[in-house]
Amino acid sequence: MKQPEELSEEFEQDKFERELTRAMRSVDPPHGFANLVMARAQAEVPVRARLLWMPRRVQQWTGGVIAAGLLVGVFFGEEAHLRHQREQAAQQQFETAMRITDRTLEHVQQQLSDAGVRFDH
Amino acid sequence: MAIADDEFRRLIEFYQRMVYSIALRVTGDPSTAEEVAQDVFLELHRSVDQLVGADHIRYWLRRVATHRSIDAIRRNSIRPEAAAEEWEDDQSVEDDAPISSIRLQARLDELLRALPEPMRVVVVLRYQEEMLPDEIARMLGKSIASVKSHLHHGLKLMRRKAAVTMKEYVRETA
Repeated sequence: MKQPEELSEEFEQDKFERELTRAMRSVDPPHGFANLVMARAQAEVPVRARLLWMPRRVQQWTGGVIAAGLLVGVFFGEEAHLRHQREQAAQQQFETAMRITDRTLEHVQQQLSDAGVRFDH
Repeated sequence: MAIADDEFRRLIEFYQRMVYSIALRVTGDPSTAEEVAQDVFLELHRSVDQLVGADHIRYWLRRVATHRSIDAIRRNSIRPEAAAEEWEDDQSVEDDAPISSIRLQARLDELLRALPEPMRVVVVLRYQEEMLPDEIARMLGKSIASVKSHLHHGLKLMRRKAAVTMKEYVRETA
């Protein structure tokens, strides 16, 4: 059986603890705390990782845009390649035609020379 | 899979009071507390993949906030205002002097700062976070007996200090 003084002491101690709990309310951090943390977190994340962390809808849109970009790139790349091939073929044809023309001219010149025709420039 | 920005912001806004308050009451310094709280959330940002559910996140935040605050105290050599023994032996103070919560609130930071670090940590977790001694023991990796001992002595010291400072407070405000 507890004595009245002991009961009083126990009550006072409980009361102190209750007052302590009441006094120790959580306090707000300084204004802008969340923004500061967000900025620091984003500065830590590499760009490649940030792409992976985007919301699913944004990821899908980004994927679509990248795929479309690749298709356009492939299309224009193929076009450029074909044009280059056509230019090379035309260049070869031109060179062949020039060689044939040179030989023909040399042949004609030789025949005329054999016939006694002289060309003075 | 990492956390999306808007989800992370929600976590900060939900837990910032808890984390900052632990850091503030344990370190006793607002700028150190803000720095500690920011570091805790950045660590959460890196580790959130390993945490499952709100209870796990809250437990993790409390534990990391407490340990980072203790680290900050030791790093910055933040010491209690007065040695505990200084007022522990003051027998002229009545232990059961009635103390109102308003007056206690006014002098709370002063009372906490005066506690030695292990007692202060346990008192903050018990009365701010309302954790049970066995939860505190598990979180800090200490025995329950050690936590109860710190709690008992911490409260005793605070009651004595409170009785002294409340008298001063009443005199000052009279």
